[in-house]
Amino acid sequence: MNKLLCLAVALVASLTVSAQQLPDVKVENDAGKMISTRSLVGKPMIISYWSLACKPCIQELNAMNDALEEWREEADFEVVAVSVDDVRLKARAKAKAASMGWDFICLFDANQAMKRAMNVSLTPQSFVVDAEGNIVFSHSGYTPGSEQLLFEKLLETIKK
Amino acid sequence: MKRIALVLTALVAALTASAQIQFGEKGGYMTIGLESNNILYVDDAKLGTTYPSKFGSNDYLKIDYVKGRFSVGVQGEAYLPALQGYEDLRNNGYDKPKVMLASKYIQWQDANYSVMVGDVYDQFGNGLVFRSFEDRQLGVNNSIEGGRVTATFGNIVSVKALFGRPRLYSSTNGYSTGWIGSQYARSTVGGADLSVSLSDMWDSEELMLSVEGSYVNRRERLDRELNGMNYGTDYFPYFELTSPDLNMYSARLNLDYKGFTLRGEYAGKGKDISSGAVLGKAAEGSAVLAELGYNVGGLSISAQARRLEMMGTPLSLYGNIGVMGNTLNYLPALTRQHTYMLAALNPCQMNAEGELALQADVYYTLRSKQSRQRYWNFHANFSTSYTLKGYQTASGKRELLWSDVNVDVERQWNKQWKSTLMFSRQQWNTSHGQGPALPSTTYASNIFVGDVMYKINKKFSLRMEAQYLLSNDYEGDWVAGLIEFNFAPHWSVFFSDMYNLGTTKTNYYNGGLSFTHNRTRVQVSYGRNRAGYVCSGGVCRYQPAYTGASLMLTTSF
Repeated sequence: MNKLLCLAVALVASLTVSAQQLPDVKVENDAGKMISTRSLVGKPMIISYWSLACKPCIQELNAMNDALEEWREEADFEVVAVSVDDVRLKARAKAKAASMGWDFICLFDANQAMKRAMNVSLTPQSFVVDAEGNIVFSHSGYTPGSEQLLFEKLLETIKK
Repeated sequence: MKRIALVLTALVAALTASAQIQFGEKGGYMTIGLESNNILYVDDAKLGTTYPSKFGSNDYLKIDYVKGRFSVGVQGEAYLPALQGYEDLRNNGYDKPKVMLASKYIQWQDANYSVMVGDVYDQFGNGLVFRSFEDRQLGVNNSIEGGRVTATFGNIVSVKALFGRPRLYSSTNGYSTGWIGSQYARSTVGGADLSVSLSDMWDSEELMLSVEGSYVNRRERLDRELNGMNYGTDYFPYFELTSPDLNMYSARLNLDYKGFTLRGEYAGKGKDISSGAVLGKAAEGSAVLAELGYNVGGLSISAQARRLEMMGTPLSLYGNIGVMGNTLNYLPALTRQHTYMLAALNPCQMNAEGELALQADVYYTLRSKQSRQRYWNFHANFSTSYTLKGYQTASGKRELLWSDVNVDVERQWNKQWKSTLMFSRQQWNTSHGQGPALPSTTYASNIFVGDVMYKINKKFSLRMEAQYLLSNDYEGDWVAGLIEFNFAPHWSVFFSDMYNLGTTKTNYYNGGLSFTHNRTRVQVSYGRNRAGYVCSGGVCRYQPAYTGASLMLTTSF
């Protein structure tokens, strides 16, 4: 009986995999314009949530920025950095992003509409999204080196 | 028991999957997010803390289902009971276990229009007149239960309107003893926001120019008796209020051109009782916010100035005006948000009754042309704020509320080594401008921080912090340190210690480990935590000192 139940759990769980999609939310870009998140779909991407008070988030973005040239020799993709800093810190987050020279698409989700829609509780949280807009992988937290896992998942998506 | 657990797992999994099974790959999908914060409190003779109830737990379960243009969602919250320090919740009946359906919504949207019924989160402009949001760390959720419609016309005109009643956790004591346990304020809130993008009219690529405006109304019966309950204070004579309607408006201008940014907002509000006001009567309020920014190459400059006068706006007058989450608008402190332990000991507290504030930031990054992994990053930050009115202080004159100067130098030496040095000088007024009865002294602290990270190989890394706070005021000098081992991508272990060398000689230690697997993160820690304010936006929660073990779980699928 237990085996049957385990099988049922495994079967049902396997059906839940995939099909989550990038939600359609309006969010501000670095030029101050509101854009739809669905307009990003077309290329595979890594979406990474950050804020000025989240040191590991900034470490993760810096690590990805450092590795970007190497990674792009293997894959054509975008990194989307989503700041969840509210209006208190949004201007500073923009200044920080511009100064760091991150080669990313930078979005500013000041009232956390995108964060809420993607069910993000804590930052850092990163997602790998395929060219069709399906969310294929997600990872919470950051330990130096774990950016490599995101890139491996991105490569798997491209090779599929 | 095992079988029951399996059946439950299967049921949850089936529920999660059912939508996908039913509608196929192109059909709907469901997401579930869970956050659980648990603390087991330990009596501590050094802190003088004892707890009749040793356990606290704040838990949030959010479920969303999306199919095409429709989405629907709920959020359940459990307080088993609420954690110590969430006093506004605990005083409102959450000191006993409580499980509730906290929010729900159903929404239809396409590229240009949306209609939503349920609990609305939104913000108009900079939030000076309206912001509804959730901050679980603070225990704030002021969503509006009602509806919202939005429309966009050719990327040029955007309009939204909403109406409903605000969520209000806390409504105890003072004005409304009969109101305990209610989840909603007895006021209604309605508002509309309009944005016109002038630059899109002439299709400019480089220029972004928009004008915007908002209107918000809060309506609340002022008589103290409602549905047979007496709310204690009759607001007509007591605060010289004359109308149940509070009207607020704001006008904004946003300009971005080739790395240059200019933003301005003016907000006005009718007669109201400002949250935390010393002035014992209703008064009109206003706010001005200006922002300048410039980016070129690795250099970024940003500056903001703000004037606030009687802008604290409670969701409800009959919900205890001074309570933390009882706020309709958003008035954050114009300062840097510190993350190093000693720099964050005494955060800046904004004064909504009257404040003049200014802040400026300069970032500069110098990156090696040979290697992307080598760079210098410099950051300088200055902020200051003053009282606006004489009656806010004992001297009857304008006084400094807060000032800080911070300098950070960050150096990525190579792939392995990175170091950061930070200096912060902070000054603050002990009265926070909260009336002439409070002692007004300016305290100063100088904080020095060194932070080094060493990446041993692709998976193992080590980080260390050393901090010192130098001060002749308040509790005197402090010293602190942190060491953190990271084993990518799953494990992290840390230990930190903070010791007061001055008046209290108290040691605050903390150690723990975290495990992350994909979207699931578990952190366990044990330590002694200092009393202090946890602040976000214009809202500060007082966290009492405690010793205990904590378990935090976040996951989503």
